[in-house]
Amino acid sequence: MTDQPRILVVDDEPQLTRVLRTGLKSRGYDVRAAADGLAGFEAFNDWHPDLVITDLAMPNVDGLELCRRLRAVSQVPIIVLSAKGEEKTKVEALDLGADDFVTKPFGIDELLARVRASLRRAKAPQMNEATSTILDSGDFHVDLESREITVRGKPIHLTPKEFDLLVYFIKHSGKVLTHRTLLAALWGGNYVEQNEYLRVFVGNLRKKIEPDAASPRYILTEPWIGYRFHEKAPEI
Amino acid sequence: MRRSALDQRWAGYVVAALSVGALTLLLKTVGAHVNAATVSLALLLNVLFIATRWGSLPALAASIFAMLCFNFFFLPPFGTFTIAATDNWIALLAFLITAVTAGQLSGSAKRRAEEAEAGRREIERLYAELRDAFERASHAEALRQSEKLKSALLDAVTHDLRTPLTSIKASITTLLDEVRGRVEEESPVALDAESRVEMMEVIDEESDRLSRFINGLIELARIEAGELKLRRRWGAVDEIISAALMRAEPITRGHRVELDVEKELPGVRVDERAVSEVVYTLIDNAAKYSAKGSVIRISARRAGDELIQMAVEDEGPGIPANLRERVFDKFFRATRDGDVRNHQPTGTGMGLAIAKGIVEAHDGTISIEAGRGGKGTRVVFTLPTGDDEVLDEMQHPAATVETR
Repeated sequence: MTDQPRILVVDDEPQLTRVLRTGLKSRGYDVRAAADGLAGFEAFNDWHPDLVITDLAMPNVDGLELCRRLRAVSQVPIIVLSAKGEEKTKVEALDLGADDFVTKPFGIDELLARVRASLRRAKAPQMNEATSTILDSGDFHVDLESREITVRGKPIHLTPKEFDLLVYFIKHSGKVLTHRTLLAALWGGNYVEQNEYLRVFVGNLRKKIEPDAASPRYILTEPWIGYRFHEKAPEI
Repeated sequence: MRRSALDQRWAGYVVAALSVGALTLLLKTVGAHVNAATVSLALLLNVLFIATRWGSLPALAASIFAMLCFNFFFLPPFGTFTIAATDNWIALLAFLITAVTAGQLSGSAKRRAEEAEAGRREIERLYAELRDAFERASHAEALRQSEKLKSALLDAVTHDLRTPLTSIKASITTLLDEVRGRVEEESPVALDAESRVEMMEVIDEESDRLSRFINGLIELARIEAGELKLRRRWGAVDEIISAALMRAEPITRGHRVELDVEKELPGVRVDERAVSEVVYTLIDNAAKYSAKGSVIRISARRAGDELIQMAVEDEGPGIPANLRERVFDKFFRATRDGDVRNHQPTGTGMGLAIAKGIVEAHDGTISIEAGRGGKGTRVVFTLPTGDDEVLDEMQHPAATVETR
């Protein structure tokens, strides 16, 4: 019972929480539901779930506010459910620290895939967080000390900024990273609006690490939002 | 235009010649009893007439002609153009001066009248232009407003279509996964019979919800296009209410329904089905937004000679005064848009808008107030009794308020 990952579903739409509860339970997750951000935050505090799935538009405390409150106290993975037309809010939620999003209407598979990835990611850093200066992840092998990188066994040469960007990607593999998040992490707060900087660096990085820079498999573009990094190129 | 002006002028000369000639002839036939002063006065009047009517030039012609006639026929020596006495010269001069002055005066008066007329026309033209410009501007503003409204409505509609669709899609993919026997990495699909039924229930209910929503949209569009066809006939209020109650039975099972219908209410000339729909909507809302076990009160009574007032009241959380108008707006939901806490599924946001449309089409009014003791929600609407053609005029100025 206790080894079942706990998922908190926060949505004001009772029918959807009903479906998600059943769908997730059938995959062996322990599920609780809350009808708004306020109830969701309360449930989080006394249940300590491993992952939170939240809608964005809700009465009382909405999804954005919930993300903000959760991030103030926890690094729990958050997946937001958003609709077309809510792009702005979605990006805001990601900037506030949400890990991923699913666009309504969605198939349960898509949600489950995101849930699995988020849970995996949440577990991973605890093992990696050691003082080790070696980052071994999928096709990438990084020596943080000597700043050497090999991709699929081949050494590559990166500029210092490209190196930092790639390391940041590897450390947040699988997660959606907004333009703003990346810019703030690598260039600092003054550059958060300079999307074109990022585009140039990502372009150069792709040329060096991707087998085919025109159809990238490691650094994927999330249109209008940012990028998502995969440490292992998916099989084609 | 020019041609007719020319005609006018020639007409002036012709009339001048003819009238002076005729007058002279008349005076001559009347005889020698007429003295020179009378004749000159008569001719002078004639000249004046010509001057005021046709201006100075025809008048001048008339005066010369008149002078010649006067001189020839009425001044001694008769039959010649010679003038003997000095005062006759003076008379002649008076003739000419009168003709010219009167002509000028009438001409300038005419000109001024024409100028005034042109001025008036100019003002009219400017006014029309201004009005057109205003119309264009307000039209553009209205268009912008309506575009804004349209996109807000589109947002509301897409949200209401997408929400049930999301539940349906999630349910069906859950079921599909199991049917396909897919086994996931760590967690095999384990859907028990109960869950399976639940998923299908959700699909069933959400499909109904979509269908209700679409029906509502159609109904609303009909009302807004003014195509709500009322089939009015004499009906009894208690029958209308009991029809609605019968339909609402499944949703009011958990509540206590109290009925308070005044005895011997007059008949109403309404579309019974439409009004019953209104009552049903109100009961549905009352049941949806109040706790199980609480009371739903339905009442009907006379309000004055020509009105029946009906009300549905619940013991729910009530609607704040500032939202009581807005809940009649289409797609507005107090529970969602107005921060009224309630975890029941919200409605389509169209029920009250449709109810309002139906009531107003019957020349009635609908409004919301607090229930007994300031708690709960009480929706009140009125229906006119008897012949509405008479009633329209005298009874319901409020009913003509536009639905938006």
